[in-house]
Amino acid sequence: MASHRIGAAGGLSHDSAGPSNLHHHHVPYATSLHQGFINQEGPAFDFGELQEAIVLQGVKFRNDEATKAPAAGGRPAATLEMFPSWPMRFQQTPRGSSKSGGESISTDSGSALNTISSGKAEASQSQLEQPESPISNINHIKPSASNQQQSVEMANDASRTGPSSSQQNQNHQSAAALTDAKPSQEKRKGPGSTSDRQLDAKTLRRLAQNREAARKSRLRKKAYVQQLETSRIKLNQLEQELQRARSQGLFLGGCGVAAGNISSGAAIFDMEYARWLEDDQRHISELRSGLNQHYSDGDLRIIVDAYISHYDEIFRLKGVAAKSDVFHLITGMWTTSAERCFLWMGGFRPSELIKMLISQLDPLTEQQVMGIYSLQQSTQQAEEALSQGLEQLQQSLIETIAGGPVDDGMQQMVVALGKLENLEGFVRQADNLRQQTLHQLRRILTVRQAARCFLVIGEYYGRLRALSSLWASRPRETMISEDNSCQTATDLQMVQHSQNHFSNF
Amino acid sequence: MQYQTESWSCSYMPSSRGALGGDPLEHIERLASENAVVIFSISSCCMCHAVKRLFCGMGVNPTVYELDEDPKGKDMEKALMRLLGTSPAVPVVFIGGKLVGSMDRVMASHINGTLVPLLKEAGALWL
Repeated sequence: MASHRIGAAGGLSHDSAGPSNLHHHHVPYATSLHQGFINQEGPAFDFGELQEAIVLQGVKFRNDEATKAPAAGGRPAATLEMFPSWPMRFQQTPRGSSKSGGESISTDSGSALNTISSGKAEASQSQLEQPESPISNINHIKPSASNQQQSVEMANDASRTGPSSSQQNQNHQSAAALTDAKPSQEKRKGPGSTSDRQLDAKTLRRLAQNREAARKSRLRKKAYVQQLETSRIKLNQLEQELQRARSQGLFLGGCGVAAGNISSGAAIFDMEYARWLEDDQRHISELRSGLNQHYSDGDLRIIVDAYISHYDEIFRLKGVAAKSDVFHLITGMWTTSAERCFLWMGGFRPSELIKMLISQLDPLTEQQVMGIYSLQQSTQQAEEALSQGLEQLQQSLIETIAGGPVDDGMQQMVVALGKLENLEGFVRQADNLRQQTLHQLRRILTVRQAARCFLVIGEYYGRLRALSSLWASRPRETMISEDNSCQTATDLQMVQHSQNHFSNF
Repeated sequence: MQYQTESWSCSYMPSSRGALGGDPLEHIERLASENAVVIFSISSCCMCHAVKRLFCGMGVNPTVYELDEDPKGKDMEKALMRLLGTSPAVPVVFIGGKLVGSMDRVMASHINGTLVPLLKEAGALWL
């Protein structure tokens, strides 16, 4: 058992300041802990009073240093008068309940110990370094009722080993004293209730660590309560939105409803769209199995027509949503980010879809090829016309709200509002265009070709959605390297981890 | 808000101050039969602008009647609303004297390939 001399404390500063004083004290306390188990107090142990007392004790401590009297029977430190439950000295019932937080204190004490000891420059520091490892041992020791007894035994053992280890004894005493202090704010300052050990460097350090740990615990608790509060508020908001939507008689597709900042029309549409996406998955897998298993044309026709109706349904829903919140649709807030990037008038661009399909629909008859190309041309013309109409609307709106006399402000707004209503018409016409395009594809192609075509469409948009979520979850911290190998590796990992996105494909 | 006619690349004939009042619907039908492609429009309407662009983009020169510039415009507008059963009344397109409909009908017929043959038949499109 190493002997930890208080002499090490001789190099300590003797500032008469407050708590900072303690950090200069060597408290190679842990070594004594190494001997056995010193159970720490629960996290709610208030070291405030301890702190004050230690400050007061600081002066006394300096005096005691000089003597280095292993005052086994010395005067009790004023601080220690706070601790009535000294196992050696006092009739004290074992505090089983107070041990629960022991480990956490120990952990923090360990870290505090490290910080304290790291600043030391004295030669005696080598002795003090030792505590850092023993401290970690504490983490593995489970609190138990017997520990109280253990500390008593430890102290007893220490006292048997002679004067050099009486220091240890003192430390044991101090440790045990800390252990047994009540978790509440109780102040026990009974005169005869503390041991007469003097407050040595180790003890002070220990006390400092414990104080630190208690403070951290309080902060953690505060943060946790804060978190609980915000979660509770969020939960209430979600429940309210759920209630509102439910009263409209909707099936809740488990869609994430953003709390607060979207209109109810938009929220309802988002939920309906989420449900539609689930249905889409189902339709796609039906198409796939129908093609792979070579269903008859009659059966395939049923599946294909069902898919067309499925799309008719979303266009209908969008029409309803456009009446309540056209901006939600036209800005694409209901779609994923990749889809939103390529959005045209609140949805996909039909001519782009045709372009994508052309290469995938082989083989086609001459007539079918003609039909597809004229479809591409007519969609392009229609898109152009609608885009120009929308541009005209924007121009008109700008002219309405830009400038004009001040007193005409309200009138200006009324006119502008009237113009904004036209937006709904444009989104409606754009969806009409999309719907007609899909219907025309169905007409041009055979049943089997149409099944393949719609499967391609469904998979294409599914991949676009998957791309969005992959992009959103890609690792931001890029490793800088000359070649892009690191980046590629990361991307590959990402793709592998996201296999489930592609499992349907 | 005056509609900017200068942006037009294709020309259109001004509304003809036809005969007496009479039935606005009759008036409309008479006007519609006078040209291959007739569009009833309102100068400030953006959807009307879109349908005009559609025809011009296909190389067709439609005859456009701006109802807000016609003294009988109000009555005609009401008659059109009764005819179509929808509001707004405009744009309304007649091809070869026959009613095609408003924007969504025109779009649908263009996508399903029936518009171009109709235009050719009416003589508004050559090849």
